[in-house]
Amino acid sequence: MIDGLYDWIDDRLNISGGGRKMVNKIFPDHWSFMIGEIALYSFVVLLATGVFLTLYFVPSSTDVVYHGPYIPLDGVHMSEAYLSTINLSFSVRCGLLMRQMHHWAANIFIGAIVVHMCRVFFTGGFRRPRELNWIIGINMLIFAIFNGFLGYSLPDDLVSGTGIRISYSILESLPLVGPYLANLLFGGAFPGNALIPRFFIIHVLILPALIAGLLGAHLTLLVRQKHTQFKGPGATEHNVVGAPMWPTFMAKTQGFLFLIAGITALLGAAVQINPIWLYGPYKPYLATYAVQPDWYMGWLDGALRVMPHWQTVIGGRVIIPNVFWPAVVLPGVTFTVLMMWPFIEQKITGDRADHQLLERPRDRPKRTALGAAVLSFYFVLFGASATDVLANYLNVSLNIVLTTFQVLVFVVPLATYPVALRICREFQATPGAGKTKRHNIVIRSADGGYSTVPTEARPGDTLRELEPVALDASIYLPALVGSPSYEPVDRAGIGARAAAGGTYEAVSVDDEAEGAEGDQGLAAATTGAEGGGRARSRVFRIPRNYRGG
Amino acid sequence: MPWLRRILVPLAVVVIAAALGTFVIGRARVTASSTAMQNPGLRLTAASRLTSRGLIAAGRTLYTQTCSTCHGGDAQGSALGTDLQGLGGAAVDLWLTTGWMPLRTPGLQPANKPVNLTTAQINEIVAYVVSIKPGGVPVPTNISLKGASASEGFYMFSLNCAPCHTITGAGDALAEGFRAPSLHSVTPTQVLEAIRTGPSNMPRFGPGDISPKEALDVALYVTKYIKHPADIGGIGLGGVGPVAEGFVGLFVGVGVCLLAAYWVGDRTARGDGEAHGEGGEDESDHEGDAPAAGVDDRSYSETTSDTADA
Repeated sequence: MIDGLYDWIDDRLNISGGGRKMVNKIFPDHWSFMIGEIALYSFVVLLATGVFLTLYFVPSSTDVVYHGPYIPLDGVHMSEAYLSTINLSFSVRCGLLMRQMHHWAANIFIGAIVVHMCRVFFTGGFRRPRELNWIIGINMLIFAIFNGFLGYSLPDDLVSGTGIRISYSILESLPLVGPYLANLLFGGAFPGNALIPRFFIIHVLILPALIAGLLGAHLTLLVRQKHTQFKGPGATEHNVVGAPMWPTFMAKTQGFLFLIAGITALLGAAVQINPIWLYGPYKPYLATYAVQPDWYMGWLDGALRVMPHWQTVIGGRVIIPNVFWPAVVLPGVTFTVLMMWPFIEQKITGDRADHQLLERPRDRPKRTALGAAVLSFYFVLFGASATDVLANYLNVSLNIVLTTFQVLVFVVPLATYPVALRICREFQATPGAGKTKRHNIVIRSADGGYSTVPTEARPGDTLRELEPVALDASIYLPALVGSPSYEPVDRAGIGARAAAGGTYEAVSVDDEAEGAEGDQGLAAATTGAEGGGRARSRVFRIPRNYRGG
Repeated sequence: MPWLRRILVPLAVVVIAAALGTFVIGRARVTASSTAMQNPGLRLTAASRLTSRGLIAAGRTLYTQTCSTCHGGDAQGSALGTDLQGLGGAAVDLWLTTGWMPLRTPGLQPANKPVNLTTAQINEIVAYVVSIKPGGVPVPTNISLKGASASEGFYMFSLNCAPCHTITGAGDALAEGFRAPSLHSVTPTQVLEAIRTGPSNMPRFGPGDISPKEALDVALYVTKYIKHPADIGGIGLGGVGPVAEGFVGLFVGVGVCLLAAYWVGDRTARGDGEAHGEGGEDESDHEGDAPAAGVDDRSYSETTSDTADA
C-alpha cells in the first residue's frame, strides 16, 4: 500500500530522481558536524513552543488589573502583555514549562550557532567555495540575537523594561539621526504603547521568517556544495566519505532531534528561567539592580559597563555620546569583520583555491590563535556584564572589579594569542598529539635530559594521522593566519575548473555511475590497505561532482 | 567493550550536567545560617534574667565583654566605634541579630555571619544599651502580618528596596565597596528595624516615607515571598538573573547538547549484518555485534554501509 501511495505521488511529482539523490547524500561522520544540528533542532523547539505561547500571549500595552493565584500581584495595574505572561506561568496548563523551554531553547539556539561558527572558523570551513554560506550563517546569528532580545522584552516586566530603556538610549546615541530613529521605531517617546505590539510582530513573524528563509538557503547550499570533511583515509578534495542520508544519518539525526528536545524539556522543567512574577510589571519610574540581558547580549552590556566616559563634544553639545562606541560601533565592527573574514583571509594568504578538506585548528596556528584571542575578548566582555554580581559574591569593591575588567579586556586577548599559538605549534611538532590511544614512554637520560619515545603503533593508531607537510612558501605567504600544513591541493586543476565553469561542480556528471561499483558515482569501494592491517569494511565515497540520476 | 560505553557515556552526560548544575547553583545560592552558635565564654552570664533590672545587669556584663572595646564602657563611642547612646533598641537589635556585630574584622561594611549570641543575650544587651540613654527607635514588638497586603508590599519593595537589594532580594554590590545584603533569610523584625534605622549605607525611611502599615506590607512580602518565593519552575539559581541563567544555558544547555552530539555524532551502521530497510532494528544493537568495534570507533575510514546495492 505504501508502495502504491509512493507510486501515485511519484507519478505526479516525479520525486524519485531528486529523492534518490537526497537519500544517497553523504554525511561525514565527525561529531563536530552535528553542532549545527543543535542549532537547527533548538530552532524547531523554539518554533513549536513559540506557537504554543502565541496562543496565550496578548501583545498589548493596555493597562489592566490582575486578579489571580499569584497573591503579591493581586489587584496590581499592569500591561496586558505582562498579565498574559503571568497567566501563562500560573494559570495555563503547561504554560510555564513551555515558556521556560522556549527561553532555554533560545539560549541554546544562539549558543549552538556560536559554537558552530567557531567550528567552521577554526577548521577553515568558510573558505572558498563556502564564503556565501558563512555570510548567511553570520546573518542568522545577528537575527537570532535580535530576536532573542525582542522575546526577552515582550513580557514587559521590570527587568526587561530596563533593557528596552537601555536599547532606546542606544538608538538615541546615533549621531544626528538617533532621536528621530528611536522615535520612529518606538512610535514616540519611551515607553509608549506601540512598543509591545511592534516587538511582537517582529519577534513572531518577521525575524523567524528571515531566519527560516536563511536556514533554507544555508541547508540548500550545504547540499549543493556538499559537506566538507576532515582529511582522513580515503577522504580527498574530490570526494565525500561518510554515511548516507538513509538509513544511517536519518536515524542519527532523528535521534538527535529528540535528544535536543529532551534536554530543553529537562532544563525547562528543572531550572527556573526569567521568573517575571518576581520582577513585577514594568513602570518607568521603578528600577531594580542587577539587571543584565541574556548572555548573547551580555557582551554588549559588558562593553557598556567597561567603556570609560568619553564623548565627543563640539560647541558645548554632545555630538557622539559614549554609548555609541560600545553599543553601536562595537557590534557593527564585530559583525562586519565576521562577515568579511573569508575575503580578509583570502587577501592575507592569497589562497583563493577551492577547499573541500577541513583543517585542524593546529594546522593554521595564527588563525586559531587570532580566533581564540577574539573569542576571549568577547568572553571577558560577557564577564564584565556581571561586574556587580561578581563583586557581591567575591566580596570585592564594585569599582575594583570594574577597573579589573577594563584592564582584562585588553590583557586577556593579548595573552591568549601567544598561548594559543604556542599550543598549536606544540601540537604540530608532536605527530600524534591529541590521540589518546598511543602511549609515550618518557626516558630520563644519564645526564638528566628527558625524551619521549612513542610506543609501538597498534592497528588503527595511525588512521587519523595527518602527516605534517613542509610549508610551500611560493604558494602561501607566512601571514596572519599562519602556515598551512596540509598538502597543497592541485591548484592547476581547480584553476582550470574555475576558469571553465566558475564553480567546482562544473565537471560533467557521470550518469551511469549510479549503482555501479567503481570509483565514480555512488559506490562502495573496498579498501583494506590503509587500515594498518586492521579488518575494515567498506568505505563509502562519493565524488564531489556526483549529481545523481 | 561497547556495552560499557553505551552505559557510561549517558551516565557521564548526566553526571557532568548535574555537577555543573550543582556548582552553578551552589555558587549562586546564598547560604545564610541563622542558627545561633553558643559561645562558651558567654554562657555563664546568661543565667539570671528574671527582672528588667536583672536583664540590664546581665546585659551590662555582656556589653562589657563583647562591645565595650570599640563602643566604650558607657556606649559613648570611641575612635573605633560609634556612639550608641540614645540610638534606640531597634538598631542594636538589628546589628546583633544579623551577626554584623560583634565585628570580626574592622572594615567598610560588616558581612552577614552566624550569630554568636543567643536571643536572650541579645535582648539583655539591647536592654542595657537602651537603659543608658532612652530615645531612638525601639525594637518593634507584637508584629502581626495578618492584615498586611502582599501586593502593596511588593509595590513598596520595588519602589524603595529593589534599586539596591535587587527585585529578587538576592542583594548586590554597590559602589565603593558597599553592598546591599541578601534578604533571603531575614525576619519581619529585622525588616522593620532596617527600614526605620537605615543601617550602614541604607537610607533611613521614616513613617512619612513608608507608613507603619506599608512597612508591615514590605515585611510580609520580603519574608513570605522572597524568603520563600513561590518558586515554581524549578531551581531558582539564586535570583541573580540572566547571568546565572546564561552560564547554565551555555555550559549546561549547550554543553550537554555538545556531549550528545559527541555521543551520537560518530555512530554509524557497523558490521555486515545491517541492511537498509530493516526499520525495526535498533542501530545500537548492531554495535555490540561489530567485531572490530572499540579499537577506535571514531575513525572516518570505518564508516561503512551496505546501501550501495540500492
